[in-house]
Amino acid sequence: MGEAALESLRALPVHRWRTGVLVRALPYIGYGGAAGGFALAVFFRFWHLNAVGYNSDEAVYAGQARALAHDPQVVQLFPVFRAHPLLFQTILSIGYRLGGGDLMGRSLAAAFGIGTVILVYLTGRLLYGRRAGLVAALVIALMPYDVLVSRQVLLDGPATFFATASLYLVARYATSLQRPWLYAAGGAMGLTILAKETSILAIGALFVFFALSPEVKTRTRDLGLAALAMFAVALAYPLSIHIAGGGHRGQNYLLWQLFRRPNHEWSFYPATVPLVMGPLVVGCALLGLILLRRQMSWRETLLLSWILVPAVFFQLLPVKGFQYLLPAAPPVALLAGRMLALWRPPPLTLRALRVPGAVVSAALCVLVLTSVGLESWRRISPKESGVFIAGSGGLPGGRQTGLWVRNNTPLGSEFLAIGPSMANLISFYGYRKAYGISVGPNPLRRNPAYEPIGNADLALRRNEVQYIVWDAYSYARSPFFGDKLLEKVRKYNGVLKFSVTVRLPTKDGLSASRSLIRVYKVRS
Amino acid sequence: MRRTAVIACIAGLGLALALGAGSARAAAPRTPIHHFITLMQENHTFDNYFGNYPGADGIPSDICMPVNPHRGSKPCVKPFHIGTNSVSPRDLDHSAATARLQYDGGRMDGFISALTRRNQDGRLAMGYRNGDDLPFYWNLADQYVLYDRFFSSAFAGSYLNHVYWVSGSPAAGFDRVPPGGLGNLPTIFDRLQKAHVTWKFYVQNYDPDLNYRTVDRFPGNRASQVIWVPILNFARYVDDPAIMRHVVPLSEYYKDLDNGTLPEVSYIAPSGPSEHPPSNLASGQAFVRGLINSLMDSSAWRSSAFLLAYDDWGGWYDHVTPPRVDNFGYGFRVPAILVSPYAREGFIDSTTLDFTSILRFIEQNWGLRPLTRRDATANSIGSGFDFAAAPRPASFVSAHRGPLEEEASVVRSRVYTLYLGALGLPVLIVLSAAVALMRRRKRSEAAS
Repeated sequence: MGEAALESLRALPVHRWRTGVLVRALPYIGYGGAAGGFALAVFFRFWHLNAVGYNSDEAVYAGQARALAHDPQVVQLFPVFRAHPLLFQTILSIGYRLGGGDLMGRSLAAAFGIGTVILVYLTGRLLYGRRAGLVAALVIALMPYDVLVSRQVLLDGPATFFATASLYLVARYATSLQRPWLYAAGGAMGLTILAKETSILAIGALFVFFALSPEVKTRTRDLGLAALAMFAVALAYPLSIHIAGGGHRGQNYLLWQLFRRPNHEWSFYPATVPLVMGPLVVGCALLGLILLRRQMSWRETLLLSWILVPAVFFQLLPVKGFQYLLPAAPPVALLAGRMLALWRPPPLTLRALRVPGAVVSAALCVLVLTSVGLESWRRISPKESGVFIAGSGGLPGGRQTGLWVRNNTPLGSEFLAIGPSMANLISFYGYRKAYGISVGPNPLRRNPAYEPIGNADLALRRNEVQYIVWDAYSYARSPFFGDKLLEKVRKYNGVLKFSVTVRLPTKDGLSASRSLIRVYKVRS
Repeated sequence: MRRTAVIACIAGLGLALALGAGSARAAAPRTPIHHFITLMQENHTFDNYFGNYPGADGIPSDICMPVNPHRGSKPCVKPFHIGTNSVSPRDLDHSAATARLQYDGGRMDGFISALTRRNQDGRLAMGYRNGDDLPFYWNLADQYVLYDRFFSSAFAGSYLNHVYWVSGSPAAGFDRVPPGGLGNLPTIFDRLQKAHVTWKFYVQNYDPDLNYRTVDRFPGNRASQVIWVPILNFARYVDDPAIMRHVVPLSEYYKDLDNGTLPEVSYIAPSGPSEHPPSNLASGQAFVRGLINSLMDSSAWRSSAFLLAYDDWGGWYDHVTPPRVDNFGYGFRVPAILVSPYAREGFIDSTTLDFTSILRFIEQNWGLRPLTRRDATANSIGSGFDFAAAPRPASFVSAHRGPLEEEASVVRSRVYTLYLGALGLPVLIVLSAAVALMRRRKRSEAAS
């Protein structure tokens, strides 16, 4: 499909609007929409950003960044080389060197999220015109999935930003067939891998795209040069591990990820991701593929391969994470934007009232955006809960507990928690070494990034561990180890020193106080 | 009227005096140390534990102990790290007689031969431990005060040195419990009682029925309670329930720390984890770590001092000839560490000290009269303090030693170079792409 076809596509949805005041107001509406979309993206990503403390993964990445910045309090607690590449952590560490705190970590992640919104707009404008770009940008700006993950110090937000940049540059190449854009896309792909190594899947998406899109004529030599650019950039990951002598741990982690037992049911993604992308958004994207099937081109092939390749891979991978499919969110938003901007429904007749198709289209657009906006608003509003899904937000009470630990326990004291999640928070906020009792000593059965305690009873008897931390979130996931931990509290004369409690609604409509986190001092 | 006033004044004065006498004022500490704790572990010399500790007066590099000094300097045994040869740890004889044979009139060359006389493998005396065996103690020395001229008070075993620990005296000079107890020998507890300074003797696995009168009914190691808790050898204490309330199980130490009721002076006697050879050193360190950690984790920490010492040399080699202060001592050097928020950091204190130096510190700190000439003339362990410095915050000392997994700064700088370089590369590609496209566009415009 060439430029002429693109022009006809651009012309298709708006030609009826080119009359009167509306035509003159259109640019201003566009600018207003863009400004509003940007403002919404900023608002949803920064509002109450630091109201709840970090979760475990955030603590690990921020801890790595602080270790890189040579923060003496955490340099022994968070090894720089754990499991993932360090692009985001390296950028974040510069902020820590300049004196930034917890808020800065999340602000940087949110900035990447806003960058993704801008890139979605640019890509949408390039592929389907300004209006589609604007709608797609609004969709991603308000989408709960992107909003939630962008508000956390996770690698998936930056990886999605660089993946979307790669998508834009590939689209740029496909529309112009100018080779430098392909090389630039290769470089951006390299950064995507440096943000999170699983993004290497995007290579598969590109392969599928070029294989299924013969109209985008590309020489093998150019693809090779683009791949070279990608590998040249991505080389920083293995090279840095090699220099630091940390390759063993990285390889172990990859093997463990590939062969570990599943951590969620197979239905985890189908049941979770469409809901957080917005059912109406996903519906619009699918509906657009059907309703606008006559305009199908390499554009949709590109977007679909960008969605399906990672979706299929992660569906098959035993390890499932809430945020893993985030790079698929921008192409979903683009497909939804395509449908909402390009599809013109027939006029709707309600008794005597005849509603023009444009108004129906606009109402649908408002409905979709409102639905995702309200859901995002609901999810970012601070609330207390005893249930927690990794990657879905901060951990209430975690920061409070960590700060209590920092201020009320001697330096060098060691902690035992149910699992590594709370242990990471104790280490990050409390500056104390913490173990998870659920981390098994068998290297084949545990995440190699975690340090097992080995014999917890021996450590407690030898007074190498002086505190036990029980938390409701880990208990919900692992009641067996939660009970084991409470056994040790009893066995080693545990004295409750600190607790975080919340009032939660009960089944009979009342509310009851529930203990979220408890810190015990123990002694053999 | 005047008469009434005079009577009232006299009555008031009398009442005031009576009240004053009834509530005798306790002696106030003269330093910021309001809580002093002393623990006596068992049977090691300084060279055995810290002979290779950097900076300390440790094992000389050229030492080779003759197997039989009366037959010349060869054959001899060089000091060795225990576990690196076939010599296995055991309880070396540590009687007063063996001590004098090892001392050999000040020649310090009888460490092997004295044990060989006892049908023991005398080579073991030359064995030593290092930081891998004693990670907690070496870490403790890194951060607090290690005394490298701390001598046992007597050329003797546990009993006599423990008596010195509380009385500054050898009593009758026997290195075992006398049948009639220790009579009226004054002890530091008398001084503390008189000065209303609070004190307790914490005893691990304490059995209140076990004292010098009943010791024969307790066979085996349990009898060590009487040796390690000298207060149980005095009729005037054993028969006084008020005094015996000061002798309590060790569990009360932890309760007192939790409740903020730690007395001003605490003596602690271990039981199983005393490190008496050949017992497990790890369990001894864990025991001491528990005591110190609990102190650090309490309100008492900011005004406390904890002194860890070892009661006698245990038959092990030590290269420093003990100064002769009287017929009984000093004995060979023993390890001693001072832990306190006011202790000098990573300081090796070479002041000549012995167990009476502990008494000296208690007496000076609470203004008590010395017990004997020994404690009156002894140096105080106070040389390890720096009261001019601000108290150090509590910081648990690690039970692990060795290189830590700290990322070297060179690695960090390479990470920065690689990742920021990688970030710059695509930017360069995009910029060159944009420049190339602009040039191409200009060329095509020029051509058209």
